[in-house]
Amino acid sequence: MGSILIVAEIQKGTIREASYELAAFAQKLGAEVRSLVLGSGIAGEAESFAKKGGGSVYAVDDAAFANYNVDTWNKAIRAAVEASGAELVLLSNTPSGWDVAPRVAAGLDAAFVSDVFDIAAGPVFKRRVFNGKLDCELTTEGVTVATVQPGATTPFEGASDGSVESLSVDVSDAKAKFVETKVAEAKGVDLSKAEIIVSGGRGVGDPEKFPEVIQPLADALGGAMGASRPVVDAGWLPHEYQVGSSGQVVTPKLYIAAGISGAIQHLVGMKGSNFIVAINKDADAPIFEVANVGVVADLFEVVPALTEAVKAAKG
Amino acid sequence: MKILVCLKQVPHQDARLDIDDDGTWIKEDGIKFEINSYDTYALEAALRLKDAGEAEVVVASIGPDRVTQALRTALGMGADRAIHVKDAEAAASDALGAAKVLAAIAKEESPDLILAGFMSDDGNAASVGPMLAELQGIPSATAVIGIEPSGDGFTVERELEGGAIEVVALPTPCLVAVQTGLNQVRYASLKGIMAAKKKPLDVKTAADLGLADQLAAKAVTKKIYTPARGEGAEILEGSTDEVVSKLVGKIKELGLL
Repeated sequence: MGSILIVAEIQKGTIREASYELAAFAQKLGAEVRSLVLGSGIAGEAESFAKKGGGSVYAVDDAAFANYNVDTWNKAIRAAVEASGAELVLLSNTPSGWDVAPRVAAGLDAAFVSDVFDIAAGPVFKRRVFNGKLDCELTTEGVTVATVQPGATTPFEGASDGSVESLSVDVSDAKAKFVETKVAEAKGVDLSKAEIIVSGGRGVGDPEKFPEVIQPLADALGGAMGASRPVVDAGWLPHEYQVGSSGQVVTPKLYIAAGISGAIQHLVGMKGSNFIVAINKDADAPIFEVANVGVVADLFEVVPALTEAVKAAKG
Repeated sequence: MKILVCLKQVPHQDARLDIDDDGTWIKEDGIKFEINSYDTYALEAALRLKDAGEAEVVVASIGPDRVTQALRTALGMGADRAIHVKDAEAAASDALGAAKVLAAIAKEESPDLILAGFMSDDGNAASVGPMLAELQGIPSATAVIGIEPSGDGFTVERELEGGAIEVVALPTPCLVAVQTGLNQVRYASLKGIMAAKKKPLDVKTAADLGLADQLAAKAVTKKIYTPARGEGAEILEGSTDEVVSKLVGKIKELGLL
């Protein structure tokens, strides 16, 4: 295939791991790799990436790019696409990736595939649909823009022999304006430190069942209670209980998921747990893919019984 | 102010998913459909802006006959007008095709604000909203969990990783693609449902929008399938007591009991 343009992403001053995952995919596909590194004061990162998998790097380095902005990023990426003649443009499916990538595609009148977990020879793009329940394979016509799920593959750890070319992009016509980033406040419930977490999902059915059914198991085990996103969206529990990519990422010794289907946003938040128990009456729920042990049953039968058994075991 | 809300009708969240004969989508016969959950939050945001001041809320959706039901629901909740693009070519296209159809509508309507769901519950592609904004040449923000009118536009909060939030100012006209949980979605009142029957619902084709033969998909689904279950979980069998006993055993092995 023709060349691939990677749009690298800088986080806390360095190019993030997800960008090296894009380099790994580009390597696997055997294409010529070019990259865009954009930001303010990023010359060092651009040089470094050119030698660590980024290939020929276009650097857009200007104060106007100090913070993510949909209009400035869009323009810079379009400039790099044009300069590189790339047939495939890869971004990571991060908050900036998913914000700008569809616009890049539409502006190029190009094919777009989002949140892929694999790119096979062809290229054939693989992604999940129906909130993780089914897998899907797509092919595309012409120039393609794709976003890749962070963590989809092992980051590239080799070398590349690229050099850096400076690109100048006029973004004075940007309409969106970055105001500020608000860091997550210290929460009442710090799940990231809990050794045992018992989480409930949409399957718990109504808010009262959290204090009645889920909290008692957490208490019996000496752990904390958590929740999946739909529970928080419905207002059953405050955001501080949310485990997931936009809530807390947790790595307890034991994670019990009751009535949680296992949508990717939730899995991202808990799949690093040491031991995962899933309780769900749907045998096809994606959560069973990451769980160590699963129970296909009604959580209202299993959880109270487990609570009593744990209390009895503790004496 | 005129607000355009883009709606997609999707299989109900708990619908049975059987792969169709082509192997490229699911069987739609016999399953229930509903408005995409993300879009309900977008519609609610529009209706709240309407409640707070003078605004016209226009809802638009692409799809077959069954989409009429979704549009009537939206009208029942308080939207003023609905546009139904009932066209096989449009329905078979990809996200960019859908965006082109909605852009044609937006060109006719000239909304100050376009609200869409961040992604759909079926495709999960999170594409149409920002694509539509690009085609319209207006600024956009996605995964939005807060939206407030401010100055000559809106200040929005975008969800970042780990609970962090990015605040962005967008001048109108603009597009906002909203996350679930943005607000609490209202139910249509009986009075609203009755009134909805008299509200305008226009049906259009791709040709009406000047898009006939221009919507060939560039991203094509080749196959869709139940993922091969890898090792996955060890499924515990038996009665509740037997299963609970095995779980207690596992927890003891972890040194946690």
